[in-house]
Amino acid sequence: MENSLFSKPRDLFLDIVNPRDYVQIDSVSYMYQNLKTSVQKPLKMILLYGKPGTGKSMLLHKLHHDLSKHQKVFMIDIPIIDEGDFLRVLAQKIYSYVNREAITLTDFLELASAVNYTQTPIVLLDEAQLYTPILMEKIRLISDARALKFVIALHKTENEDIIAKEHFQTRIWESIELKNASPEELKVYIQKKLLKANCFDVASMFNDKNIHLISKLTRGNYRDANKLMFSLFTLYAWYEENYPTKIKHNALKTKWIEMAAIHTGLIRA
Amino acid sequence: MLDIHSLEQRWLKYKIKRSLPYLLILLGTTIVVIAFDHFLYSDKVSTPLTVKKEISSVKKQPKASVHDEAMVLEPSMQFIQSITVATPDITVPDVTAPATPIPVIPKKALPVQKQISSPLPIIKNVQNTPPAPPMPKLILSNPGNKTTSIKRDSATFNIHEIEERFTSNSNPHLGLYIARYHYDNGNYSEAYNYALKTNAINNTIDESWLIFTKSLIKLGRTEQAKKTLQLYISQSNSEEAKNLLNGLRKEGEK
Repeated sequence: MENSLFSKPRDLFLDIVNPRDYVQIDSVSYMYQNLKTSVQKPLKMILLYGKPGTGKSMLLHKLHHDLSKHQKVFMIDIPIIDEGDFLRVLAQKIYSYVNREAITLTDFLELASAVNYTQTPIVLLDEAQLYTPILMEKIRLISDARALKFVIALHKTENEDIIAKEHFQTRIWESIELKNASPEELKVYIQKKLLKANCFDVASMFNDKNIHLISKLTRGNYRDANKLMFSLFTLYAWYEENYPTKIKHNALKTKWIEMAAIHTGLIRA
Repeated sequence: MLDIHSLEQRWLKYKIKRSLPYLLILLGTTIVVIAFDHFLYSDKVSTPLTVKKEISSVKKQPKASVHDEAMVLEPSMQFIQSITVATPDITVPDVTAPATPIPVIPKKALPVQKQISSPLPIIKNVQNTPPAPPMPKLILSNPGNKTTSIKRDSATFNIHEIEERFTSNSNPHLGLYIARYHYDNGNYSEAYNYALKTNAINNTIDESWLIFTKSLIKLGRTEQAKKTLQLYISQSNSEEAKNLLNGLRKEGEK
């Protein structure tokens, strides 16, 4: 099964955020360039928001990957909820200050003023909606002191307008919203990913009908699309091993796409 | 590892569940269309089903055999029986007759029954006469009986009734009829009176003047009859009146 035609495409869609798997799509590339430009500006905070699965984490990882070559960048992809730990980790990663005990905000600001960087260090915070308002207030104070520059990625929820929150409203100088992928963007995303890994035969199996069905099932969510593709190619690998005559190489079977969607929970059956 | 068989069953359930509303809508629409079609055409014309039933019922009738084709149809004469045949005039003996023994009468002593009780009035076919009154009904006895007796039904013809009608409505045709009736029956004075009344109502009826003058002649008043005729001829130029006047003059010359 590991030598299957579909095993390699299956592994491409594992739900792992890797900047090397970044796929250039027109709208995402545009957003990324905006983000890079904003980072170069003397901004205190940059907000990156959008619905789940719109590629915020990927952009942050890509940005971290690209900026880390030139300046001090630290990314916290798993939120550190405790205030003392948060400041201690920042002091350690940014200023190389090692201390087993938690430090206060005053201590952290004194440390920041003592260390002089030519470019303000950048901190990338993923899943920032999980931080408490108190910690967000501390982050605001740090950015106000220009000790650090924050790029904050968080989910945009329907019930809560995060931009209206007090600690973001007056200080965010740049906000970038990411949108769900259109069917065309999803097609480019899947095919580029497959072609990048030289899976030409599999990439040619996708027709417009398949793409529209996948887009309808995933609603343009990249993460769901990855999960669906992973299940679909697992399914194809099984049929290739057990019933190879059932596979048609000119198009994907709608039935198998729906079965993969049932398996991933996109369809409630 | 995927459980493909379980996944296929779940997919099948999902497809059925997803198709069910469409099937129900299709079924409902079909029922509505059929019901609408049924109610739409049932009020106007007979439905095709009815026509088919009629056709099939016609088809189910047995075909005429050769024997049936050779059968000659004849008109039913039963309607003759429906015609009212006058029951024979049989005199039912009075059951409540006195218990006294009936004396035996020898056959020779029986009087011969008169077949015609009275002569029928002869009515001439004259122009400008009223439609004939209902004639006395002739009651035929049993056709099998050789001795046919004709009796006059006096109840249906009564000259007095006609006279009363003439008195009430003064119809000149009735007056003429009554005058003719009396003249034919030899009752010349009555014929004179009714002819005179008729002429007073309508003086253009030729026959009424003729009956009037003939009645005068029969009553022996020939001169008055001549004068009346001359007066009438001068006004109407009636040929019959002229012939009658000429006849009177010739008889007078003889």
